[in-house]
Amino acid sequence: MSNRKCREYGPIDQVMSETNSKYKIGDAVMVAVDNPTGNPRTPKYIRGKRGVIGSVHGVLENVRDHRGIHKPLYTVKFDLSELSPCRDQDTIYVDVHEEWLSEVRPDS
Amino acid sequence: MSGKHGQKAYEGHMHDYEAHIKAVEEDLEYYRAKRFEPRIIYLLRRGVVTFYDLLKVRTELKKKDHFFKLNKPQGKNIEARVRYLEEWLDEYVKGIALVSARTVEGMDMVTEDNRKERGDYDDFFKIKKKEHHGSLQERMVNLEQDLTDYQELLEVFVQALIKRGWANRADLERRWNQLHEERPWAGGVIVARAWTNPLFKQALLTTGREALREMGVHQGKVGKLVVVENTDTVHNVIVCTLCSCYPYDILGDTPWWYKHESYRTAIVQNPRACVKEMFQLVIPPDKEVRVWDSTSDVRYFVLPQRPVGTEGMSEEELAKLVTVDSLLGAGHALEPAQQREREAAHVEPEMPRVRPD
Repeated sequence: MSNRKCREYGPIDQVMSETNSKYKIGDAVMVAVDNPTGNPRTPKYIRGKRGVIGSVHGVLENVRDHRGIHKPLYTVKFDLSELSPCRDQDTIYVDVHEEWLSEVRPDS
Repeated sequence: MSGKHGQKAYEGHMHDYEAHIKAVEEDLEYYRAKRFEPRIIYLLRRGVVTFYDLLKVRTELKKKDHFFKLNKPQGKNIEARVRYLEEWLDEYVKGIALVSARTVEGMDMVTEDNRKERGDYDDFFKIKKKEHHGSLQERMVNLEQDLTDYQELLEVFVQALIKRGWANRADLERRWNQLHEERPWAGGVIVARAWTNPLFKQALLTTGREALREMGVHQGKVGKLVVVENTDTVHNVIVCTLCSCYPYDILGDTPWWYKHESYRTAIVQNPRACVKEMFQLVIPPDKEVRVWDSTSDVRYFVLPQRPVGTEGMSEEELAKLVTVDSLLGAGHALEPAQQREREAAHVEPEMPRVRPD
């Protein structure tokens, strides 16, 4: 219990770890189709889809939710049309951990 | 699902019993199948409690030793019965919170364990939710029976934890009283401050929880907080497609529809159609819709636009215009005339309760 108390969220943890994040805002990324060892909380409808890094959160400790610490977290921006047959020019932002992402080269 | 349900929070008198009953049915099944039973199964698997503990406790339990003492219904008319069901559900949910991870020794669970147990990552483990059919009368009778059954299991479970020495009654009683201390809803206060104080707004949008510290609002610590701003060109909507992630430690219980599968599916497939159908909210074509899907580490809420005709209003008055739905992008903040109408009709907004985390 007391151990947990000192592991609450703090801005310092975030700032320290953001520098270790592999991607930066604006990078084009692809979400893996499958990743058995990755954080399971990666929604199915974005798997195998392309997006762009919208924000970089770094490593967030979430002692209430997770055992252990996950890789850096990003908010990835997807065009709605990449994820759904809907043709509206809207966007979906989803939080995804780094182990699910790979770089998309502009020429691919 | 009709948009009427989305309005439930602001109705002082019940006009739509069916909507209230449906909301109780949905929430009750959600809490049973997602919050309570997975926890029992987790502990059964690890021998913290066993089926036989539960059976023995059940046999020996006397009414006078019950941990949970329920109020009696106030009247037999339909409105009184519906209210009673809602209050009972509320007590049941608090009872589940009572036996949540950190209150009981030996139950060192994190949310992730619970998610695994309840089949968030594997449909095979999903606990089936009950379906509800029949007339309103029949459904109310069924709900009364379900609540009786579910409450009994909760009672027996708590007694078994005490008997096995994982919890002591005095601690549980202290915690139970804490769970009944209500904190005022902070949503309106936060938004009104952001509307009137540009520096605070900037801090809120960039630092999230940190900004709440200076205004003396309970900061909580459930994930990183990100606040997204509605503008003339952008309308934001919040969802958690995996479950129901939400900054509940600041904003209290989620509206029932936020947990509903139909919302969680439709909002990322066709956001405009979804908010139009569910909340009668039409987003103009020249506004971009941004849907934010929280996956737990970050929790979101929307900073709604300040309604027109609110110049010169005090923070206190402005706070009354802020609805729960507007913080999720399922509605706009009320215009002063709408709010006056509600006040004139003595419609007291029922704000969600914020409980100790």
